[in-house]
Amino acid sequence: MIDVAITGIGVISCLGRGKAATLDAMRTGRSGIRRLQNIDASALNCRIGGEVALGSSDEAPRGYDRFTQVVLIAGAEAAEEAEYGSAGVEPDRVGAIIGTGFGGCQTIDANYKRLYEQKVTRLPPTVIASSMYNAAASALSAAYGARGVSFGIVSACASSAHAIGLAAQTIRYGLAEVMFAGGADAPLVVGSIRAWEAMRVLAIDNDHPERACRPFSADRRGLVLAEGAAVFILESLEHAARRGARIVGVIAGFGATSDAGHLTDPSPDGAARAMTAALNDGGLSPQDIGYINAHGTGTPANDVSETKAVKQVFGAHARDVPISSTKSMHGHAMGASGAIELACSLLALNAGVLPPTINLEHRDPDCDLDYIAEGPRAGSVTAFLSNSFGFGGMNAVLAVRTAR
Amino acid sequence: MISGDIEQEVLCLVRSVKKDVRVDSLTRTTTFADLGIDSLDALNVLFAIEEHFGIVISDERARAIRTVGDVIETVMALVPERT
Repeated sequence: MIDVAITGIGVISCLGRGKAATLDAMRTGRSGIRRLQNIDASALNCRIGGEVALGSSDEAPRGYDRFTQVVLIAGAEAAEEAEYGSAGVEPDRVGAIIGTGFGGCQTIDANYKRLYEQKVTRLPPTVIASSMYNAAASALSAAYGARGVSFGIVSACASSAHAIGLAAQTIRYGLAEVMFAGGADAPLVVGSIRAWEAMRVLAIDNDHPERACRPFSADRRGLVLAEGAAVFILESLEHAARRGARIVGVIAGFGATSDAGHLTDPSPDGAARAMTAALNDGGLSPQDIGYINAHGTGTPANDVSETKAVKQVFGAHARDVPISSTKSMHGHAMGASGAIELACSLLALNAGVLPPTINLEHRDPDCDLDYIAEGPRAGSVTAFLSNSFGFGGMNAVLAVRTAR
Repeated sequence: MISGDIEQEVLCLVRSVKKDVRVDSLTRTTTFADLGIDSLDALNVLFAIEEHFGIVISDERARAIRTVGDVIETVMALVPERT
């Protein structure tokens, strides 16, 4: 096992822009889910979501989709914290691996609408380059002169956890010294929301958006779509020590498995094997884990399956491990969710707070673990797991040590 | 449209999604699980029914559907009376 240091965190979600706003939400159990403002949702059944608030000064350069715009905002915050600009890293030894589920879907949605509805005959020449799934990784590598290994990763809702895990592996294998790693997604477009409605997994409570997502609660109705990004600066412990960088966390282990089964029904076994693999990779035992950031979508299927998986891995210890779904607050940012959740977890745990699962008011007999339902909890956690399970049966779990 | 017609049409629609189901083996108490209809197949059955009858089955109603009879009753409740 070779630990990889995290020396910078950047995050933007419906909870706000940056680490301070995110930590505040974890400390207070504040939801960022609202009625949708950025699109005309009047024809949709689902008119709520977790939108990122962008200012007028945030206008993206031509050719950038919204998912690239948010990754650059998160990347800048992470680079600043890591003092990347003065780190003097050899450009060929830096890369960017960014996960996404929907890529540049805003660009696709807006332009295809013009093509099919308004019958335009020409589309802007930037459509291809801004909508490709590696556009966010490309923009980060260009912005920071990272000339080493860079690519995008696609595994639905596990994309950014896979991205962070593989970026850590890249450093472990000596292919890079510093990596930008994380995820970005901006799927709040009419076409995508309509398609999600058809799956009947959305929590549609248009009158009480902040209460819509209720992971592990008996009255849970599903997930709430969201957008956002989180980016981490990863480097080897030696590299961080050599340049005197402040280490805010450590990627200790990475576990990735496939259900090799159903397209959309989650398998407890696939999830459990991923958690076990992350523990083994990090040289950790279940007793070392003081918190689990659950995938916790709030769908009836996921939350029962994930609970079974935790029991399978943690055995008698399962009831002693505090677990929460921060998606109850920031919604499900699809391919960005694993990265956003890693940021939420690390920021809160480093500050001595275990993030809560909000809106969990009705106990489900099939979800009978400690989900931190009573609100933010004080505690000192030195190691935790962050779970991400994607449609298609793709599972990625990160085992992480805090700075405590 | 009489209920018998609706019943036959529902059975055909189930079969259109799950082709290896024998229509004559279906009864009102047959569950989706009995037919090997998983969660994704079930979504497709409800989608086919919504399209065919021009109705919208709410998520709330959809959650309660377990059997072929539940589907028929849902359709009968939502399809306007016709002469």
